[in-house]
Amino acid sequence: MLELPTIQDTMNDRRRINGPAEGTRPPVYASHLKSGGATDRAQRQREPTDLRKIFLKTGLIPSASGSSYLEFAPSSSLANARSNPKSLIPPSSALKLSCTVHGPKPLPRSAAFSPNLVLTTHVKYAPFAARKRKGHIRDASERDLGVHLETALRGAIIAERWPKSGIDLTITILEAEDDRWWADAPDLHDASWGMMNVLAGCITAASAAIADAHIDCLDLVSGGVAALVSDDSTEDSAAAPRLMLDADPAEHRSIMAACVVAYMPARDEITELWLKGESSKIALEKGDQRSAHEALIDGAVDAARGAHSVLSEAVRETMLRAVTPL
Amino acid sequence: MTTPLPQVAIPGQCLGSASKYTAGPGTHIQQSNIYASIAGPVILDPAQPNTQTKSTLRVSRTIPAKPHLASTSKLKDRYNTLPAVNSIVLARVTRVQKRQATVSILVVLDEDSLDPAQTSDNDNIASILTSAANPENHSTTDELRFQALIRKEDVRAVEKDRVVMDEMFRVGDIVRGSVISLGDQSFYYITTSRNDLGVVMARSEGGNMMFPVSWKEMRDPITNASELRKVARPY
Amino acid sequence: MASTSNEAPAVPPSLSLPPSQFARLQPHAYLLAHLSPPAATNQPSIRANGREPLQFRTTSANCGSLTHTNGSAVVRIGDTAAVCGVRAELLHTDDIASWSVARTSSASTNKRQRLAELGEDVTEEDNEDEDDQDRAHIEDLSLLVPNLSLSTGCAPGYLPGAPPSTTAQSISHEILSLLHSSRLVKADDLRIWYQPPNLGPEDEQMDVDEGAGKKAETEEQKPREIKAYWVLYIDIMIISLAGNPFDAAWASVVAALRDTKLPNAWWDVDNETVLCSDDVSEAHKLTLRGLPVASSFCVFEADAAAGWRAKPIPNAQQQKKDGKGRWILADPDGYEDNLAHERVSIVVDKEKNGKTVILKMEKVGGWTIDTEDLRRLVDVSSKRWDEMKQIFDQC
Repeated sequence: MLELPTIQDTMNDRRRINGPAEGTRPPVYASHLKSGGATDRAQRQREPTDLRKIFLKTGLIPSASGSSYLEFAPSSSLANARSNPKSLIPPSSALKLSCTVHGPKPLPRSAAFSPNLVLTTHVKYAPFAARKRKGHIRDASERDLGVHLETALRGAIIAERWPKSGIDLTITILEAEDDRWWADAPDLHDASWGMMNVLAGCITAASAAIADAHIDCLDLVSGGVAALVSDDSTEDSAAAPRLMLDADPAEHRSIMAACVVAYMPARDEITELWLKGESSKIALEKGDQRSAHEALIDGAVDAARGAHSVLSEAVRETMLRAVTPL
Repeated sequence: MTTPLPQVAIPGQCLGSASKYTAGPGTHIQQSNIYASIAGPVILDPAQPNTQTKSTLRVSRTIPAKPHLASTSKLKDRYNTLPAVNSIVLARVTRVQKRQATVSILVVLDEDSLDPAQTSDNDNIASILTSAANPENHSTTDELRFQALIRKEDVRAVEKDRVVMDEMFRVGDIVRGSVISLGDQSFYYITTSRNDLGVVMARSEGGNMMFPVSWKEMRDPITNASELRKVARPY
Repeated sequence: MASTSNEAPAVPPSLSLPPSQFARLQPHAYLLAHLSPPAATNQPSIRANGREPLQFRTTSANCGSLTHTNGSAVVRIGDTAAVCGVRAELLHTDDIASWSVARTSSASTNKRQRLAELGEDVTEEDNEDEDDQDRAHIEDLSLLVPNLSLSTGCAPGYLPGAPPSTTAQSISHEILSLLHSSRLVKADDLRIWYQPPNLGPEDEQMDVDEGAGKKAETEEQKPREIKAYWVLYIDIMIISLAGNPFDAAWASVVAALRDTKLPNAWWDVDNETVLCSDDVSEAHKLTLRGLPVASSFCVFEADAAAGWRAKPIPNAQQQKKDGKGRWILADPDGYEDNLAHERVSIVVDKEKNGKTVILKMEKVGGWTIDTEDLRRLVDVSSKRWDEMKQIFDQC
């Protein structure tokens, strides 16, 4: 039998407009109840090393000292569903976020003296960003993203150039990435894989906004994701998991492990590394001498290099626009 | 092998060898190479002739108003746009006490040039017009601005012991001052003890803009009443 | 407020400043200098942002780009950008404590039955009674839930992570009350009906029932009943704020609702729940009542201090009558917003015959706007409606 969605707790927040006191339930689709599901799982159409296109623009929000807007191009399945809509259930989703930097500005009165720039990061999903409605108050995963993002950027910023001042970096996620295919039940290996893609996007967008704010950095730091997936569709049960760059979790049956890095190509340095899954137990294909986590990190760095080229192009373009006024 | 310098650079871009150039503002050195740390036009300041010093490479924070006028090299770039020692600032008086006045820094001017084209990068009209100076209330604005103190002994150079703060500044006055110290975690220290420093704009008790009549007096053009201030010498 | 920096235009600042510094130090004088150029130059009165006093900023709208919404829109008015996403969830009438109580009371049952009948033969023309019912249902059950967020980094001063600022709260409430008063959404679009079974078993029982007499009249009638309501969560994220958030937020709400598709939903007896079809062809769009467009204005006064001076200047009132020393600015940017004390917000719609209908008119602060001005502003708002209609129709 199906598990009926539970009624969402409605917090009675007097500063917001609350829905019905009785609570509401997300819609249940009849097709969802049939075994096997009505639609087929989205299939990855890209090569394992191909990344989704990234749309990145900086300097769109004039009231901020720096800003950027980032979008991942939808996977082929989502693009098809958009151009020729049949089902109301989207097969996948593609990251969309907006990032602003405010400052440098004085530190709050209560703060201790700092000879360096103090970076504050804040990541928040819009309530409509994910398959499940998000609350208005930051949850653990959003705080987690903020912390990971902060580490990633701190390694790139030359903080001693900006004594006793701070910048606030805020990211609003308008559309998040899926953690798995929507019709899959959560399984053992399951983690919030989509969050890793979100973090990679946050890192790239934040770096662009910081460059737009003219805060000194060692390099433009970009984010990249790689995952080890086992798609049973190959019929070969002994098949080793395959390494996929920029994996869209909706397109894979099972993600064994994934890794996201924040990477600075000019120095070949990683400022943030986050590896999830049981990578130590995974054996790679024959002939590959690397351990699984080495392969994941290499893959993630390759993905980050790809994002870096988009990032530097966006930063350069904004600057050239300013240098040569129309 | 001399690779030509790029016209513009982005953070992390290699600009040249540290053995050939000195690293200026907007750059940093890594493994004896100079890298850009901000995005902007690359500017080479030639070394003084007859000296052993190397030319300085820097990345400018300011976009030249007219790109073909590359004579911006006279302007000195700073490492940041924060108030620094000797920076000239324009600030609004927010509080006057017996021993000191508190001000909120509105604009940091460059000490070397009073060239109107020289403004910090976020100081363009477009960005000012989009943002409200005080989104919610006044206190928020001051939290977004750097705070500074003018101590009683830093108000003027002469008759220091006869300074009465109330006769020097009033809340709301715009003051030109020079930063003397970065101070503690919350305040910069600024001085007005020069002829060209002090109150540059003030309103009378009647609410009218006053004009300076002497180094310590301003007058309301409508009521003709005069008020005491530490007046900056007008240009 | 910035009133500390007002100055008489006759006295130039004592030092020459580049425009950007002048704008920051003397905002009021800066704007005034633009609006009242020296008479000798014969220049027209132009705002600091280059617009004419009653000119709105370039506006664009884009719909349906957010995957996880039933409807979405991005509206940009100049540098102010609002993203609105509509998410529909279900409110089961079984969960509503007061629902069964209401049903047992005969009066409301009658009402509901009448409503049900009305629902069956939906006529194109709006029925007064239905309107009232709509409003009551939507309001009482909180079926429309708009919330605006400014904590997005959209402008300095709004802290991310902090509870909604007073501005955000007041705009959310304004949007809610405008949704209610304009009756934009029809309650019938939000109802999920259930027709209790069913011809098969009923046919068999019919004779029995009739034979048994009027055992249970209500059961015999088998009226349609409402098993659930769609609740629309309307979330607006202001991602860039450069003044006048209300017009952009409201436009994004209207555009997103126009884009909203609700899945076909029915009561499933076996599962005792509401099930939906994911088939796009079965889904229905909302039928909105009209197209309300909001236009906001602010009033900039040459001598804003006049209002709080101990001695009022006698001819000030006369000056205002002449329209001198006072400008009404349409669609204020962040800078102008900050310098104004008086604001007017007008929401209009147009009927098919081109007649303008005022849905809301609000004026706060100050006393310079008179009925003559309001009439003029309604005309401006009505022109703005035409402009917005085109933009909405394109997305």
